[in-house]
Amino acid sequence: MLPEFELLMPRTLSEALEMLTQAREGVAPIAGGTNLVVDMRGGRHRPSVLVNVAGLEELRGIRRENGHVVIGATTTVAELLEEPLIAEAAPVLWSAARVFANPLVRNRATVGGNLADASPAADTAPPLLVLDAEVQLTSKEGSRWVPLDEFFLGVRQTLRQPDELLTAIRFPVPPSGAVGGFYKLGLRKADAISVASVAVVVEVGEDGTCRKARIAMGAVAPRPIRAYEAEKLLEGRVLTPELVAEAAHLCAEATSPIDDIRASAAYRKHVVEVLARRLLSEERR
Amino acid sequence: MGLYKSKYTAKPLPPVDLPELRVVGKPLRRVDALAKAVGKTVYAGDFSMPGMLYAKVFRSTVPSARIKRLDVSKARALPGVACVLTAEDLPDGKLVTDIPGQTGQKVRKGSLTSVLARDRVRFVGEPIALVAAETLEIAEKALEMIEIEYEELPGVFDPLEAMKPGAPIVYEPDNIVARWKIRKGDVHAGMAEADLIIENTYRVPFVEHAYLEPEAGVAWVDERGVINIRVSTQVVEHFRSIAKAVGVPQNKIRTIGTMVGGGFGGKEDITVEIFLALLAKHTQRPVKLVYTREESMMSQSKRHPFIITHRTGVKRNGRIVAAEIDLVADSGAYPYLSPYVLLYAVVMATGPYRIPNVRVDGVAVATNNPFTSAFRGFGGPQAAFAYEQQMDAIAEALGMDPMEVRRINYLRTGDTNATGQVIESAAWLEETATRALEALGEKEPDRGSVKIGRGVASYFQSYGRITWLHDTSRAWVGVELDGTVVVRSGVPDLGAGQVNSLAQITAEVLGVPLDQVTVYSTDSALTPLAGTSTATRQLYMSGNAVYQAASAVRKVLLDRASKHFEEDPKDLDMAEGRIFVKHNPEQSISLAEMAQICAAEGLPLSNLALFRAPFTDPLDPENLQGRVFPDFTFGAQAVEVAVDTETGEITLLKSVACHDIGRAINRAAVEGQIEGGSSQGLGYALLEEYVMEEGIPKTVTLSEYLIPTSMDFPPTKAIVLESGSGKGPFGAKGIGEPSLTPAAAAVANAVADAIGVRIHELPITPEKVLEALKRIK
Repeated sequence: MLPEFELLMPRTLSEALEMLTQAREGVAPIAGGTNLVVDMRGGRHRPSVLVNVAGLEELRGIRRENGHVVIGATTTVAELLEEPLIAEAAPVLWSAARVFANPLVRNRATVGGNLADASPAADTAPPLLVLDAEVQLTSKEGSRWVPLDEFFLGVRQTLRQPDELLTAIRFPVPPSGAVGGFYKLGLRKADAISVASVAVVVEVGEDGTCRKARIAMGAVAPRPIRAYEAEKLLEGRVLTPELVAEAAHLCAEATSPIDDIRASAAYRKHVVEVLARRLLSEERR
Repeated sequence: MGLYKSKYTAKPLPPVDLPELRVVGKPLRRVDALAKAVGKTVYAGDFSMPGMLYAKVFRSTVPSARIKRLDVSKARALPGVACVLTAEDLPDGKLVTDIPGQTGQKVRKGSLTSVLARDRVRFVGEPIALVAAETLEIAEKALEMIEIEYEELPGVFDPLEAMKPGAPIVYEPDNIVARWKIRKGDVHAGMAEADLIIENTYRVPFVEHAYLEPEAGVAWVDERGVINIRVSTQVVEHFRSIAKAVGVPQNKIRTIGTMVGGGFGGKEDITVEIFLALLAKHTQRPVKLVYTREESMMSQSKRHPFIITHRTGVKRNGRIVAAEIDLVADSGAYPYLSPYVLLYAVVMATGPYRIPNVRVDGVAVATNNPFTSAFRGFGGPQAAFAYEQQMDAIAEALGMDPMEVRRINYLRTGDTNATGQVIESAAWLEETATRALEALGEKEPDRGSVKIGRGVASYFQSYGRITWLHDTSRAWVGVELDGTVVVRSGVPDLGAGQVNSLAQITAEVLGVPLDQVTVYSTDSALTPLAGTSTATRQLYMSGNAVYQAASAVRKVLLDRASKHFEEDPKDLDMAEGRIFVKHNPEQSISLAEMAQICAAEGLPLSNLALFRAPFTDPLDPENLQGRVFPDFTFGAQAVEVAVDTETGEITLLKSVACHDIGRAINRAAVEGQIEGGSSQGLGYALLEEYVMEEGIPKTVTLSEYLIPTSMDFPPTKAIVLESGSGKGPFGAKGIGEPSLTPAAAAVANAVADAIGVRIHELPITPEKVLEALKRIK
C-alpha cells in the first residue's frame, strides 16, 4: 500500500514551479507515476509531497522548432509511437519506444519521467543520447538547457535541483543521410528491464566516409553512457568490417557493468560488443 | 548439425470405437465463461461484508533465527486495531504440513508446525503475528509497530550441504524429509550387459506459481457459531485441519470456495484460512485478508528444485537395459507435500520407457529456503526435463535418430513401468510424438549466426491420486419439475473448467442442453465433498461421481417412461429435454412431464453418488513395487527454436503439443488447458527462476520474476487425440498437469539440436547458451 503523502494539483506550469519551491523536503514531481508509484509502494522512495504535472498543457506535445524536434516532458511513450515526426526524424527513438515496457505502461510513462528517473536501463536515454538531445530544466528563476549526456550523474542521480522541473527535451533534426538503430536485449520479449541496450546513429557521406557517429548504451554503467572512443574511431573513416569490429570492442571497453539477477557483468560487456557491431554493420549498407 | 530429421511423418492411429455424443466433446461455451468475460465473477478478494476488519500478517525477515523478543503492545494500543495475535494467544494452534502415515514415511516432527512462529523462524516470510484493524492502512501501520529481536542462527540453503554431517538442522531429527527407492530387476547385471553407459546431471530451480489472483479470503462467525471462510482454495476439505488448528469441532468450520484465479498447486495447501478463522473467532467480526503480490511470492510454496543424475546403460541397437537415477529435492523449511512430490518424481523418473533393470533413489531435504510443495505436474516436469534430455543424449551417443531411440523403448499397453504397475490404458507415445513433430512442418534454415533447432519430449503423467490414499468423490444430481437439472458438488473450479465439465457430463446423461444445468459447487457444508482439485483428479473422480449420479436419475426416468410408452428402457433415449422411443422418435414426452409424473408417484428424482478410485495398500518404500496410480496420460510436445549464437538469445519459432486425453469433455477447454500448460512449461524452460541467495528471495515482484507475456511465444498448436481408453467418464483421461510436463524438455532438446551442446539446467537463459558454447570452442 502507498505511504501517506500530500498530492498537489497545479493548473499551470508557474503554479507547479511555485509548489516545487514552496514545498518542504521530500517533494517529487509526478507525471505517469510508472516508476515513482512502484517505488513508493515498495518503500524505496517516500516523498511527502507529490506535484502532479501530468495535466499541464505547457509540457505536452511534439513539435518542430528552429531545426529541432522538441518533445514536451509529459509526452507519453505511446505518443512517441503515434507521432509521424518521430518515426521520420528519429527512427532510433521510435524503435526504442516500440520495445519500451508494455502497452499499458507506454500509455502512462512520460519521456521526461523516464529521463528524470535516471535508471541506468531507461530505454529512451540511449536513443536521445545519440540524437545529441538536451533537456530543459525550469525553475521559478528561469530555464536552462543541459546536454542529456551531462544531465545524468549516476544511478538515479541527475543535475535537476529539487525546485526544478524537467520541462522539455530537444534534439537537432538529423540530416537526411543520418541512419540509426536501437536494440534492446531483455530476458523476455516485452515488459522486460534491459539487460543491455545499444543505440547508434551515423552519417555517412557519398564517398563512404563516416561524417558523424554516435553510439550510446544502457544498463552497462551506473548511467546511460556514450561510447566516445568508438565514435572518434569511426568519424572520418570508411566503415569497413574491421573498423566496425574495433569500434564495437571500444564500446565494450567503455562500459562498467554490474552482476545482477538479470545477467553477469561479463555477459553485458560481451553482448554490447555484439549489438554495437551489428547495428553499425547494418548502417554500413 | 542437428540430431533431428527435418521432417517426420506419423503413421495412422490404431482404430478406436468412439460413439458420437450429443453434448460431451463439443466445444460449447463454458458455463462460467460469460460471467468471467464481463467481470461478474466474484473472486475471493472482491467480497466484502458490513463491519469487516482488514488483516495483515507480520512475517520473518531472516531465514534462520531464534525469536529473542516479540512485543506487540504498541500495535495493540494503536487506535483502530481490533486484534493482534501471536503464538502466545493460540497455544495449541498447529498446522499440519504433511499427512503423516499415509505416505509410508515415518511421522516427521516438522510436519506439525505452529501456525505462528513461537520461538524459531526457518525461512524469510514465516508468519509470526496477525493483525486485524478497521482499515488496511491501520493494519499496515500496526505491522510497523510490532517490535522483534532475532538471534540469527546458521542456516543451510543447499540440499547437498544440508545432507552433510554437521550441517545446521532445520528441524529435528535431521534434514532428511523423505526417501523413496525403486528396485526393479538387477541393475548391476543390466549395466554389465550395456554397450554404453551415459551419465548426466540435470538441475531445475525454484519456480513461482504466479497466479493472477493472490491468496485471499473473508471469514465471519454466523449465528450458529460456525466460522465461515470464503476463500480461494483448491481444497475445501481443509476445514478439518483448520478446525484442529483453531481448536473448534469440525462441524463449526465451513469453507466456501470461490472461483479460483489460478491455483496450479499453490492453493493446494492452506493459505489464509487459519489466519482468517482465528481473527474472526477472536474478534467475532468479519475479517478480510488479501496477500500482496510480494507477500504471495515470499510466503507461499514453490516448485521443488531438483538435482537429478541419470546413468543409463544402452545396447548399440538403442535398447535401454538399465537405469540408475538419483534425485535430490529441496524441501525448504517445512515438509508440506514434499514426500508426495518426491514420490511422483521417483515413479516418473525413468520416463515412459520399458527398462528391465532400474534403481531409483530419491531424497527430499530440508533447508532454510521457502517451503516447496505442489505445483502443476508435482515432480513430473522436473523428472521429464531430465529423462527426455537423457533420451536425446543417448541418441547422440549412439548416432541414432532421437525418435528411433524413443520408439524402441516406449512403454506399450500391457507393459509394466518401473514400479511394476501394468499400463492398462492406451499408451500413444509414438502416435503423439510423431504427430507433434510432423506438425512442425519443414525446418527453417539457419540464418548466419542464428541456428535453428528442433526437439521433442514425450512424457507420462499420472491422473488421480496415489491409490493407497483411497480417494473418493461425491456428487448429487437432481431433476426439477420443469425438466431443468441441478448438480451439487464440492469441486473447486481453478479456472480449468472443472464445474463446466460436470455440467456437460450431466447434460449428456440426462439429455438436456448445457444451459439447462445449474451447478452448485465448492461449499464444505452444503455440497457433497468431491475431494481436492489437484493431481489432475477432478474429471476422473468427480466426473465419474456425477456420471454415476446422473445415470441413476436417468434410470428412474427411463424405467418410468418404459411403462408410459410400453417399450423396453433400452429402446428409449433422452435428448434435447425429451424422452423418446429410439425407433420412433415421434413418440416422446418432455423431461418436465416425466419428472412431474415421477414426483407425483414418489420416485427419486435425485441421487447422491460416491465414486471410489482403486484402493491399494501402501508400497514398501525400499523398492516401491506395485500400483501407485490409477492410470497415466501420455503425450508429447515438439518445438522449433532459433538460437542466436552471438548473444545467446532464444526465440521459440513453433510449438506443437499432442496429447491423448482419452476423451474430450469440452474440446475448447481441452485446447485451452494445453495452450496454458504449454505456456507455463515454456516459461519454466526459458524464463522462470525464483532466485534465492542465502535464504533471501531476490525475485519477489513480477518485474524480477519473469513469466511469459503474449509477445514471447507463438501459440502452441494443440493436437487432441482420443483413444477412449481412460478411466474417467466416457473414457476420458486428465490433461490439467500433463499439458505442462513436456515443454521444458522439448525446448532443451531443441536448443541442443541447434547449437550442438546440451544445457543441463533451467532456465535456459542467453547467458547459459553462451557458457555452453564456450565449452565446445
